[in-house]
Amino acid sequence: MKSPTLSIDALKKVVAALPEDNLAASRRAALDQLRQDGMPGSREENWKYTDLSGAVAIANRWLEAGAKMPRAGVAAADDIVRTIDADWVVIDNGQVDAQAVHETVIAGVEIKRLSGSVEQLTPSGRLGDLNAALLRDGLRISIAASTELARPIGILIVDRADSAATVSQIRVDIDVAANSTASFIEYHTSSGDAELYSNSVINLTLGDGSRADYVRIQDRDRVHEQTGYQSVTVGRDAKLRHCAFDFGGRLIRNDLVIDLANPGGNAEFAGLYLIGDGQHIDNHTRTDHRTGPTESRQEYRGILTGKARGVWNGKAIVHKGADGTDAEQANHNLVLSNNAEIDAKPELEIYADDVKCSHGTTVGQLDETALFYLRTRGLSQHDAKQVLTRAFAQAIVGKSPISSLHDFLADRIAGRLDQLMQETDV
Amino acid sequence: MLEVKDLKASIGGTEILRGLSLRVDAGEVHAIMGPNGSGKSTLALVIAGHSDYEVTDGTVEFRGKNLLELEPEERAREGIFLGFQYPVEIPGVNNAYLLKAAVNAKRKHQGLDEIDAFEFLKLAREKMALLGMDPKFLNRGVNEGFSGGEKKRNEVLQMAMLEPSLAILDETDSGLDIDALRAVAEGVNSLRAPDRAIVLVTHYQRLLDYIEPDHVHVLSEGRIVRSGDKSLALELEEKGYDWVREAANG
Repeated sequence: MKSPTLSIDALKKVVAALPEDNLAASRRAALDQLRQDGMPGSREENWKYTDLSGAVAIANRWLEAGAKMPRAGVAAADDIVRTIDADWVVIDNGQVDAQAVHETVIAGVEIKRLSGSVEQLTPSGRLGDLNAALLRDGLRISIAASTELARPIGILIVDRADSAATVSQIRVDIDVAANSTASFIEYHTSSGDAELYSNSVINLTLGDGSRADYVRIQDRDRVHEQTGYQSVTVGRDAKLRHCAFDFGGRLIRNDLVIDLANPGGNAEFAGLYLIGDGQHIDNHTRTDHRTGPTESRQEYRGILTGKARGVWNGKAIVHKGADGTDAEQANHNLVLSNNAEIDAKPELEIYADDVKCSHGTTVGQLDETALFYLRTRGLSQHDAKQVLTRAFAQAIVGKSPISSLHDFLADRIAGRLDQLMQETDV
Repeated sequence: MLEVKDLKASIGGTEILRGLSLRVDAGEVHAIMGPNGSGKSTLALVIAGHSDYEVTDGTVEFRGKNLLELEPEERAREGIFLGFQYPVEIPGVNNAYLLKAAVNAKRKHQGLDEIDAFEFLKLAREKMALLGMDPKFLNRGVNEGFSGGEKKRNEVLQMAMLEPSLAILDETDSGLDIDALRAVAEGVNSLRAPDRAIVLVTHYQRLLDYIEPDHVHVLSEGRIVRSGDKSLALELEEKGYDWVREAANG
């Protein structure tokens, strides 16, 4: 397989038609870069298991049809806004909701359009270039120094593809200034029968002594595709608590790139993917320990049924001189069918001497002894399986840093697992 | 209540039970003793319905029903309880949740409504007090990080909540210190009733100082080679299992 080819001519036309605003220079620069680099292909180690040709084909069809950007309609998101307690901003088919920006007044928080607040978009890889080239607008969320937010800030990404191929670009820059504490919920949802490809870039910067609790929930329609890139820069003595949940989507690729360049930087992150027939979910994480002492701990878990395909790749790089690094990686998978496939790969690259690094990966089925034990207590085979599967998933909910979300997540997980178990008829 | 006749069972092609017969009536306490590998645990697991064991011959009837046709959960709901030699740790499954699910599975089978949440808690706390268990164990994962003694107490707690007609306790005394042994024995003794039978599977006579059996059976090489009253256990303690093996072979 070679790299999927983006229709550069169509892209050029679409980029040229976007408004001549502050972002125009970044768009053109990104377009030039894309022309040189192309899209990631399966020959690259990082993209070995995830083929983007479907997403690129959706993008090409959309570009050639004139790159229409209909509004998804915020109504689609009402349910989530009502159910989850947060101060929400909505990004609707890649378009920043003007009203939301104006109406969001939270002490210590500033929310602006990227077009009105930055000179240049931060380079964020090739998919970041695609994002920058086609970006209408994004958001910049700034938390002032020494602020403690009472409620999470919710970023609701709603996409809808009704009749034709649709593509959306989402970009949010978040700055948590020194000694502040803030929590964020990034929620992706999509609907509609037509094909859809969403591409997001979220750059999070944590100032010295700050703390961010971050939960990403991806619950897209089962025929839609997504690539998401998130970078996190962790300041001195700053803490990141990150948890990601993937429920939906046909092809989902998430990249989480964490930079620990300051002493005392600490990142704990976790993830859960529940994958059924026809779904492909890929989580790649990369943690750079550039100095010591810094700490990173990650645990991802997955449950797979049908012909599900999962990928987990956790890379930790301990750079020269980063003595006092403590890095821990774990990935556990529960495979409930014979046809599901998981590629799990921990990667440690260590160039320093005084480090503590560990990793563990497991792929297995439900514990037969535990199943029998539960059945001898009167639980049916089905109930026993359900109980064990939920418990396996629930461990990640326990790691999720925003406790007000726990009930919502437990319900969603239970619902999704019931669906998956019905599909595999276990 | 329980009638085992000429039972033969094997695992992975190896025959473990070789024509075992046993009759247990309501109100009785039986002790099944025997050396390691004699088939004690296999008998317990076969009665509970473990699918790794293949029954090749013989019958097992429980209150006139053919037990071998029932799934493990059906046997449990019918009133059979197995106390595990190695209780399973199930992280993430709350102890209270399992107790309640187990009680309700049985109640549903009996055509009763689910247990009231308040009633359940009251009952659980009562039984835990009897077993010397801290109520905080209710909110822990099932057996998760429990010591050996805590796990066995937890088994007896489940039994006390489920009030089975037939309780089979597999090596419930192993790994217990004297306090835990007393607490477990007290829990078991409190369940002795005219309509209930208890089968103690044990390697040592020690447990029988606290729970007095009506009948003692000695198992060797997959068969009951000797039956008697509680004095058989004492004789066994004195003479060792070689005596039984010799008696069986000779």
